[in-house]
Amino acid sequence: MGSYILKRLGQSLVTVVIVVVSVFMLLRLMPNSGYFTREDYVNMDQAARTAYLRNLGVLDNPFVQLAHFAGGLMKGDLGRSISLYPRSPVSSIIAEKAPYSLCFGLASIIISMSLGLGLGVLMARHKDGFADWMGTLYVTVVRAIPSLIWLFFIQLWISGLMGWPMIFYLDRPVSWILPTISFSLAGLGWYAIWLRRFMVDEENRDYVKFATSKGLPRTRVMRGHILRNAMVVLVQYFPQQILLTIAGSLLIESLYNIPGMGGLLVSAVRQQDNPIVQTIVLLYAVLGVLGVFLGDLLMAFVDPRIKLADCSGKGA
Amino acid sequence: MTAITRGAPEGPAILEARELSIGFTLRGRRLAAVRRADLSLRQGETLAIVGESGSGKSVLAKSFLGMLDKNGRVESGSIMFQGQDLARYTSEKEWLAIRGKRIAMIFQDPMTALNPLKTVGEQIREAAALHRGLDRAASRHAVLETLARVGIGESELRYRQYPHEFSGGMRQRAVIAAAVACKPEVLICDEPTTALDVTVQAQILDLIKSLQADLGMSVLFITHDLGVVASVADRVAVMYSGQVIEEGRVDEVFYDPRCPYTWALLASLPQLGVRGEDLYSIKGTPPSAFKTIVGDAFAPRNPGALKVDFEYEPPVFQVSPSHWARTWLLDPRAPAIEAPETVRRLRERMKRRESGASAASGGGGLA
Ligand SMILES: Nc1ncnc2c1ncn2[C@@H]1O[C@H](COP(=O)(O)OP(=O)(O)OP(=O)(O)O)[C@@H](O)[C@H]1O
Ligand SMILES: [Mg+2]
Repeated sequence: MGSYILKRLGQSLVTVVIVVVSVFMLLRLMPNSGYFTREDYVNMDQAARTAYLRNLGVLDNPFVQLAHFAGGLMKGDLGRSISLYPRSPVSSIIAEKAPYSLCFGLASIIISMSLGLGLGVLMARHKDGFADWMGTLYVTVVRAIPSLIWLFFIQLWISGLMGWPMIFYLDRPVSWILPTISFSLAGLGWYAIWLRRFMVDEENRDYVKFATSKGLPRTRVMRGHILRNAMVVLVQYFPQQILLTIAGSLLIESLYNIPGMGGLLVSAVRQQDNPIVQTIVLLYAVLGVLGVFLGDLLMAFVDPRIKLADCSGKGA
Repeated sequence: MTAITRGAPEGPAILEARELSIGFTLRGRRLAAVRRADLSLRQGETLAIVGESGSGKSVLAKSFLGMLDKNGRVESGSIMFQGQDLARYTSEKEWLAIRGKRIAMIFQDPMTALNPLKTVGEQIREAAALHRGLDRAASRHAVLETLARVGIGESELRYRQYPHEFSGGMRQRAVIAAAVACKPEVLICDEPTTALDVTVQAQILDLIKSLQADLGMSVLFITHDLGVVASVADRVAVMYSGQVIEEGRVDEVFYDPRCPYTWALLASLPQLGVRGEDLYSIKGTPPSAFKTIVGDAFAPRNPGALKVDFEYEPPVFQVSPSHWARTWLLDPRAPAIEAPETVRRLRERMKRRESGASAASGGGGLA
């Protein structure tokens, strides 16, 4: 097991490095004018601009810059913001933003998972029935219509209907509702449709027939066999879903003006604030890769047929 | 090596299908899988059901457990089990009193019959605990005993293992253990050995026979293999196109078959082939289950069919008190048509086989 984990960690590290280096290099292809605010650019003369850029370090060879970034990273130094929060350390900016994404993320995971899995079970149990039909309709709508459209719809229409604020205020809990719902809707559909699908797959297997022929009530076959086995298939995707949800959403955070990481990434890219973009990309890459990795470990843990190399397993 | 003429119990029927019809709805069309079938399983006996693929054997058996697929239902007739008509059962609650507890079933493929993600012991225990009302420790103990009984050694260890750690034969033993753990009155085996290799097959058949003797079960045994019939069954029912066309003691049906379809089935036995002669095979295909069948379902494939075979369905004729058949040939007005030579010589051939080079005849034959 140890060697397997090491190998997978190695692979994950390579993936993260490739992603981060690519983004790093792409950022260096951006025009230098992007590093200035409009007034600064107009007010400075050419010499002052060059001095400013040199001071930022963006005139160095990109590989030197990369080495510099990596060196800082080793020491836990993520650099300082250029334009968004001039001179503030990126780490403290992230530390300030992350809790918002984390809270909305966790809330939406709890909601989407519990409701989504519940809906999935309901749909599988009453396959081709009313619940299944409604659930499928819901998932199709959520998936087929671009999220921007229904997110806007929720923000404008429901906030109007309920008299709730259209953007997020930290001190008005009622303004937290719509973003949380928006965060949860897609995940809810995802959990429901996949659980339903895996349960229907399991339902037709021979072991279900045999379990039924043993005289187990349908509810027990559902719970103890079908749901259980379907969850084992589904569970490997959970870490990914969870990690990516708590990392925040670009769209929703921007829409509701939530000071989280997703929104931060959008403005950082727009203002060419390289250190912030690099850090967030690094963070997302690590979370994504970690999600897949944890998913595999979890899968091996819950499925007795999968043994990780020299894992002694649960036979004993 | 036992002769076919073993004493069959002539006890009362424990499970009896009368005029049972089962239909499926498939894309808006009705398909008749079982057509007014009669079958009686007697107390303590083994009754084999034979017939070609698609003749409705599995559907018939599943109806005894209320386990027809969702699109299928019993349309008419009755299934009498210990004084109750199972054909009238509608709720799951009624079936739960029967399923697994009084009538148990084992399926063809032991590789897929067990849940791959649950320990083997747990899968046997869940049924035992439920039906016998035992707590965890007691049911676990009962399972360990059952495992040992079906020939699974090191039962403590095996209890905790997963199906993938079992070989095919061992899995079938585990499946059997789960089925008999509650000491059912009737055990239905749907081709339990088809997926296994020959030596394991024989062991599994022996196991079923010995469990039957121990527990006093009645066994309904579905198979394609007439050799298996001869080795396990007391009586045999032949199915064709959803109907039981002949039923009797194994020796009666094998040595004195009356239906043309039974003749054809026996003539196509590889074990009866004579060196140098072509093996007989039945020409044509069975009628579509979507169409209404007029007359004798086998008539179109029967070169010697009578005119009446195409017009009226043959009724049941009693050949002996323990042997009946559905064929117009048994009508007093029918011309005397004899079974083909191969089938008539079956008895002599069997005799020769049994007395003569019995050892040389090898496994899988009519034992
Ligand atoms: N769920 C279903 N829907 C429609 N038709 C079905 C269904 N189940 C079975 N049938 C039909 O019923 C008929 C009898 O099937 P059955 O499985 O009983 O045959 P069988 O005698 O057991 O064959 P085999 O020897 O291959 O197992 C077949 O024509 C089959 O196509
Ligand atoms: Mg079958």
